[in-house]
Amino acid sequence: MTKPTVIETRKLTKTYNADAAPVTALADISFAAEEGSFVSLVGPSGCGKSTLLQILAGLIASSSGDVLVDGVPVRKPMPDKIAVIFQDATLLPWKTVIQNVTFPLEIQKVPERERHERAQAMLVLVGLADFAARHPHELSGGMRQRVSIARGLAQNPRIILMDEPFGALDEQTRLKMGNKLLRIWTKTNKTIFLITHSLTEALFLSDVVLVMSQRPGRIIDVIKTGLPRPRTYDMIGSAEFGEARNRIWHLIGGDERVTAESTGL
Amino acid sequence: MSRPTLIRLIVIVAILIVWEGVRQLNLVGPLLLASPTEIAAALAKSWPQFFAAFQITLLEIVAALVIAFALGVGAGLIAGATPFNSLVSGPLLASLFAVPLITWYPLFMVWFGIGIASKIAYGVVSGFFPIAINTMNGIRNVDQQYLVYSRAIGCSRAQTMARIVFPLALPSIIAGLRIGVALVIIGVIVAEMLGSLGGIGYLITSYRNLYEIGAVYLGILLSLLCALFANLALSALERRFTHWREMQMAL
Repeated sequence: MTKPTVIETRKLTKTYNADAAPVTALADISFAAEEGSFVSLVGPSGCGKSTLLQILAGLIASSSGDVLVDGVPVRKPMPDKIAVIFQDATLLPWKTVIQNVTFPLEIQKVPERERHERAQAMLVLVGLADFAARHPHELSGGMRQRVSIARGLAQNPRIILMDEPFGALDEQTRLKMGNKLLRIWTKTNKTIFLITHSLTEALFLSDVVLVMSQRPGRIIDVIKTGLPRPRTYDMIGSAEFGEARNRIWHLIGGDERVTAESTGL
Repeated sequence: MSRPTLIRLIVIVAILIVWEGVRQLNLVGPLLLASPTEIAAALAKSWPQFFAAFQITLLEIVAALVIAFALGVGAGLIAGATPFNSLVSGPLLASLFAVPLITWYPLFMVWFGIGIASKIAYGVVSGFFPIAINTMNGIRNVDQQYLVYSRAIGCSRAQTMARIVFPLALPSIIAGLRIGVALVIIGVIVAEMLGSLGGIGYLITSYRNLYEIGAVYLGILLSLLCALFANLALSALERRFTHWREMQMAL
């Protein structure tokens, strides 16, 4: 029995009309993610990863091709179906943690009691229930990003799009946050689409890693990690993991712009 | 009483004593400086007149502040709303701000008469530019990520402005109000001094013409009082709305 497809793109392209010649940012992007899966997208910097995410989120329009969420074309932001989590937590500093989580629901006109219940439940899930009444500046960077994840989850979307969510954190916090994310994900069974430049992070977290080429960005490989769950940090040192990482490294490597740092560890 | 308050009080008392002493010993002539007792004497003699003048000036200041706030913040919001708008209005506002406004005051008297209307109008124009410029900059400087987030959760343009952009720009707007308040007060009092029928500035000028230095100093003290009130009100506003900013800065 196959699981239903939550998000799908069909021959997606994006071309920017620069002064003289048009610049193709994305070429022929087609992929599908099934319900409850964890999909990552890696690729050299400047390959159009963030552009793709913005198209998936309905924030910018593609030049051709379609994005479908539950079979419905995405033409504008759909906060009840798609939640976006950014590199910066983008919490509103004058609101408390719980007010931040309820805010998108307020915009969506969710009744007050329900939005409070949903927010409370998600704060419990990310382990920040005790911090509901605090303000963002009282939290660490990792905690703020967890609030932002709770805020996305509270929207009760079909898919969560994450744009380098842990990019601003140090490597150690980053892996810990990844692990926390996995635990949250297991409990919610949401579909996650994560953009990262860390190959280690992508392999450690995902079921499927999409590998994107340099501009014009196209998907050059789809790697099923096949690692058992729950994942442990030891797996990062395993031979399978190393092989998979090398494979991606060679796919996007050979390019001098790929720095040692972008391979993760 | 807290320690800083106590020290402030001691400093004030010390200044008053030295001030009085300087005049009692006649180290400085009576036309240069009025001692605290001379100022008090002026107050005892003509307090009804000063009280009436104080009311006029305060009314002018409050009216000018309210109008300058509304116009300045409104213009700043429009100017900051799109990159194009700020491209057009930014240099325009900045260069108009640099014009010495006082040269226009004679025209203000022609346009608005010699009564309180011209004082209010001049006060408004004095305070308008810093408020508009700071509001515009505050809005332009809002992190773009917030705008993307706002669209991602389905905010309308009005919601983005009212619920996200405006609060994020508020510290900068209030900084503009601070400068605006000072300039409005200066504007109103200077306008009164240049040509009017009442108010603190008017009394300062007329008593100066009579060489009643005690009364002149009383007028100066009362203008100081106006500034003090305005700043206290503004501080309260700032604490109420931007406490999160200070806490953020402290980290």
